[in-house]
Amino acid sequence: MISKKVCMVGVFGTGKTSLVQRFVQTKFSDRYLSTVGVKIDRKVVAVDGADITLVLWDLAGRDGHQEVNGSYLRGAHGVIYVGDGTRATTVDQLGELRRLGTESAGDVPSVTALNKIDLVDAWTVSRAEEAALAAQGGLFRTSAKSGVGVEEMFLHLTRALIAPGGSV
Amino acid sequence: MSGKVAAAVTDVFGVSDIGRRRARNEDHFIVASLRKELAIRQSNLTAAAWHDAESAAEAQVFAVADGVGGHEGGDVASQLTLTMLVNYLARAAASFNQLGADEENAFLERLEAGVHEVHEGLLAQLGRGSRAPASTLTMVTLVWPRAYVVHVGDSRAMYLHRGILRTLTRDQTFAEMLVDDGTMTPEQAARSMLNSTLTSAIGGQDMRPIVGLVDFVPGDVLLLCSDGLTKHVSDERIAERLGEPWTAEQMATTLLQDALDGGGSDNVTVLVVRMLG
Repeated sequence: MISKKVCMVGVFGTGKTSLVQRFVQTKFSDRYLSTVGVKIDRKVVAVDGADITLVLWDLAGRDGHQEVNGSYLRGAHGVIYVGDGTRATTVDQLGELRRLGTESAGDVPSVTALNKIDLVDAWTVSRAEEAALAAQGGLFRTSAKSGVGVEEMFLHLTRALIAPGGSV
Repeated sequence: MSGKVAAAVTDVFGVSDIGRRRARNEDHFIVASLRKELAIRQSNLTAAAWHDAESAAEAQVFAVADGVGGHEGGDVASQLTLTMLVNYLARAAASFNQLGADEENAFLERLEAGVHEVHEGLLAQLGRGSRAPASTLTMVTLVWPRAYVVHVGDSRAMYLHRGILRTLTRDQTFAEMLVDDGTMTPEQAARSMLNSTLTSAIGGQDMRPIVGLVDFVPGDVLLLCSDGLTKHVSDERIAERLGEPWTAEQMATTLLQDALDGGGSDNVTVLVVRMLG
């Protein structure tokens, strides 16, 4: 079976662990502890007649004390960048994290999750910022809490991982 | 990580104690080195030259297992867990010499497969059912600087990095599950009887290993322990002890004494690994 390493990257508290748990276990909790190091999960996904094992590396979020460790991204086949729509500063940092991702993993397929769409009334990300993200391709509004957009995002990336050329 | 693995220089010490109230010690631990079979019998190379070739394939394995309390044969369960684990790792040792990015996921799968094999082995030897003996398992495989963590139950792995204590594992207990569900607050969970009821155990009715990894730097201190330590010694005190300019033996024995002084209500196992580089 084909196996693909996918890294979840973002600032702390953006919902990376929750997105993985929603996708893998179809459950949500708002009480997950901050990830230390990397937590690894797997899920077999059927896409276009092929079974793909996604090995999901949930990386500790960037915070005031720690940067994202680029060595964790090495060998990744795909990356999911996660921002929190209620905290525009987490979206501001995605550009820098993308550069780190490209340096460490190369030019691999990626998508961006603008998470916490269930709290859209509290979003601080402007339409212009969202449009700028969308222009880079592969932007998904997601909610780990309700599940909106989560499955679609992972399946979209999986298709890109197995597509010739791997474009998103 | 890529290329040949480098051997870690570590200062390691483990200690296990029956505690003050239990009739027997149901905890076990191991400290082991794994290396591919490369034993140089004779050479005209200098010792320094071939030492690198031998040690390059080395991984270190640290593990703590705590037999499930209240079950007959908990000590047998934790002993069998580590014995079978060592046997599995010895068979799988050939995979530890190269850990490029592509091999890393396969390596993690093998570690996890080993835990499943141990689980099945325990079920076959000790039986199934809610009263069958079972065990926790917290195992760290160090392929410097990366540490691969496989965790089942409520023994813990934590480490001190630049004065901050971080917990690598999360207890698999009913209380933690209820905290996740929002049914219970962490404070209620800490006082609850469900805090010691496992939702996942080797040889238990359910077994769900959690896998993770972290990179260490020289100066970091890793601690593996059974819940006999964390029942009586706070995270703040643990951080204080691991931050002392002591040997691993001094840290481990002092933490053990802290647990005994705090009541010693359970078996206590403490395994300390100082990362020297």
